[in-house]
Amino acid sequence: MRKLELLGCLALIASCASGQWLNYPAARIPRLPDGKPNLSAPTPHSPDDKPDLSGLWTYDLPAIPNAVQVDQQRFQVNLEEIVLTPEGKALQQKRRENYFPGAECLPSNLPKLTATLPYKILTLKGMVVFLYEEENRFRQIFMDGRELPKDPNPTWWGYSVGKWDGDTLVVDTSGFNDDEWILPGRYPHSDALHIIERYRRRDFGHLEIQFTIDDLKVYAKPWTVKAYSHLIPDTELLEYVCIENEKDLKHMVGVDK
Amino acid sequence: MKKTSQPLKALCCLGWIAGCVSGQWLNYPTPGIPRLPDGKPNLAAPVPKTADGKPDLSGVWRINYRPYSSNIANDLKPGDVQSWAEALTKQRQENLGKDDPSSIHCLPFGPRVNFAMDATPLKIVQTPALIVILGQDLTYRQIFLDGRQLPSDPNPDFMGYSVGQWEGDMLVVTTAGYNDRTWLDYSGHPHTEVLRTIERFHRNDFGHLEITETFDDPKAYARPWTVRVTGDLIPDSDLLEYVCNENEKDSAHMVGKASDLKAVEVAPEVLAKYAGVYTATLSLGRPIRFEIFPSGGELWFSRDGGARQPLTPVSNTRFVVPGFSGAQLEFVEENGDTAALQLHGIAGDARLPRVREGK
Repeated sequence: MRKLELLGCLALIASCASGQWLNYPAARIPRLPDGKPNLSAPTPHSPDDKPDLSGLWTYDLPAIPNAVQVDQQRFQVNLEEIVLTPEGKALQQKRRENYFPGAECLPSNLPKLTATLPYKILTLKGMVVFLYEEENRFRQIFMDGRELPKDPNPTWWGYSVGKWDGDTLVVDTSGFNDDEWILPGRYPHSDALHIIERYRRRDFGHLEIQFTIDDLKVYAKPWTVKAYSHLIPDTELLEYVCIENEKDLKHMVGVDK
Repeated sequence: MKKTSQPLKALCCLGWIAGCVSGQWLNYPTPGIPRLPDGKPNLAAPVPKTADGKPDLSGVWRINYRPYSSNIANDLKPGDVQSWAEALTKQRQENLGKDDPSSIHCLPFGPRVNFAMDATPLKIVQTPALIVILGQDLTYRQIFLDGRQLPSDPNPDFMGYSVGQWEGDMLVVTTAGYNDRTWLDYSGHPHTEVLRTIERFHRNDFGHLEITETFDDPKAYARPWTVRVTGDLIPDSDLLEYVCNENEKDSAHMVGKASDLKAVEVAPEVLAKYAGVYTATLSLGRPIRFEIFPSGGELWFSRDGGARQPLTPVSNTRFVVPGFSGAQLEFVEENGDTAALQLHGIAGDARLPRVREGK
C-alpha cells in the first residue's frame, strides 16, 4: 500500500504535498487507457438494479441557459417562474435588510449543498445518506417506505423520504423551519415549504439535480432550481468547521435596501 | 406545528433535565428489528450480520458515558497525567469549563465523541468499505475499511483520520491526525497532535455494543490507557436535528471561577438530616433518582444507582457537584424537615421530593 502511495507521489509530484487522502486512487472507477477516470462510462447500478448514486460529487456549471450565480452558488433558474405572493414580498423585504444565517454558521439552504463544496452520496439498503463537506453535516433520506411525519418538529433540513421514479431518485422533504433562504439574500421560504429533489446520474461522472420549490405562502406557484455536479474521483472530503475562528458576523453591519 | 426550539441545547447540556420532545420519527417501528411476541424489540437477539458475514454494527446507539464523560483519566494513577496537562486541566476547572470548545463553543467533539454526554446518541451506518458514524449534531465521521493506510503527514483536524479493519467479530479503528484544540472530557483533560486512538467496537447482541478505546498521547500522558463504555441500541427511533450554535446562550452566562465558591464546614448532624432518596419524573417520563449518604464528615451522592461521588458544601444547604461546571444541589426544608432536593443546573432547576428518609 505504501509503495502504491509512493508511486502515486512520483507520478504526481505537485499534488502529493498536502498529505491526507486527497490523492487516493479509489477502487471501482472505470479508467481510460492512460489511467484517468472515464467519466463518460455508463451509470453504475446497485445489486437491485437501481442506478447507484454513490460517489464524491462537486458542483458543475455547464454552458446552460438561465445560469445564475447567487453568493457563489451556481444554478440554473428561470427567474420568470418565481412569483412572490404579497406575504412573500413582505418577507423578502424584511429578510433582505440583514439576515444571513449562513454567516452564523447555521445550516445552509438545501440547493446550496449541491452547488458549492464537495459532497458524498452513500446508497444503502433502505436509506440514502448525503455527507456534505459544507459544515461537515449529513442528511438522511429514508427509502424504507415510511411516510413524511404529519406534525413534524420544524428543523433546518426537514424530514426526507425517497423513492425511485425510473432511473431518478425522487426525494420529498417537508417539516422545515422558516429560518433559511432558498437562494440567499433573494428568495426566502416559510414553514410551508415542501421541496422535491430529483437526482439522475446521467453517466458515470455526471449528476443532474432538480429542486422543485413549493411554498404557497411565499410563492404563487412552484418553481425549479437545477444544479449539475460531476464526480471527483480519487479524492476525499475534507473537514470544514465553519464556526472555527468565525470572523464574518461582526463585519456584517448595515442594511440592504 | 409545534416548535421544540433551543431549550434543547441547554436541556441536553447538563443532563440533569435531559429528555427531548417527541414528534416525528422517534417512534417509528423500524423494519428488520427482531421482536418478542408482544411486539417489543428483542434486544437480546443475536448480532445481525452483513452480506459479507461481518457483524453489522448499524443502529442508533446511546452511549453509557459515565464516568469517562466527566473524567477520561478516571482510571489513571496520579503522575500518569504529565504536569503541564494536569495544570491545564486544573485551570480549565477553575474556569468552570466555560472554554470547553465542544459542548460550550459548538466545535466538533474530536476524540471524546464516544464519551461526551451531549454527543450521544450516535448512529452507525455500515457498508463494506466505509463505516460512517452520524452524530446528533448533524456532523459525521468516516472510517475507511478499503485497506488504505493512515496518511503519513495529515493536515490536523478535529476528528482525525480513521481506518478500520475486522479482527474476528471486532471492528478495530485507528485514528490519528487530530488537532490539539479539543478536550478529552468535561474536566478539560488536554491532548496533543500526536494523540492516536484505537477503538474496538464489539456488538455483544442485538441491543448491546461495547466500545473499548485506547488513548496514546506520549506528549501529555505517561502511558497509553484504555477505557471501556457500553452502548444501548435505541430501536424504532432516530436522531433528532441538533444545531448547537443556533441561539447559543450558555457561554454568556458562564462567569466566575470555581474558587469563588468557598468550601465551608457543615456539622455532621446537619449532614445527617439530608440522608435519603429523592426522586422525580422529568420530561418524557424519564425518572431521576438521587441517593444521599453522609459519610466520614462529608456528603456523598449517587445518581440513578451510579458510583458515589463526594459533594463540596458551600453553605449549610448548598453543595457543589464536582465535575459539572458549577451545578449545585440544594436541600429544601419544609416545617423543619428536609422535604426535597433542588437541582440547580445551567439549564434550569428540578425539584426532587424526598421519598425515603435516612439510610
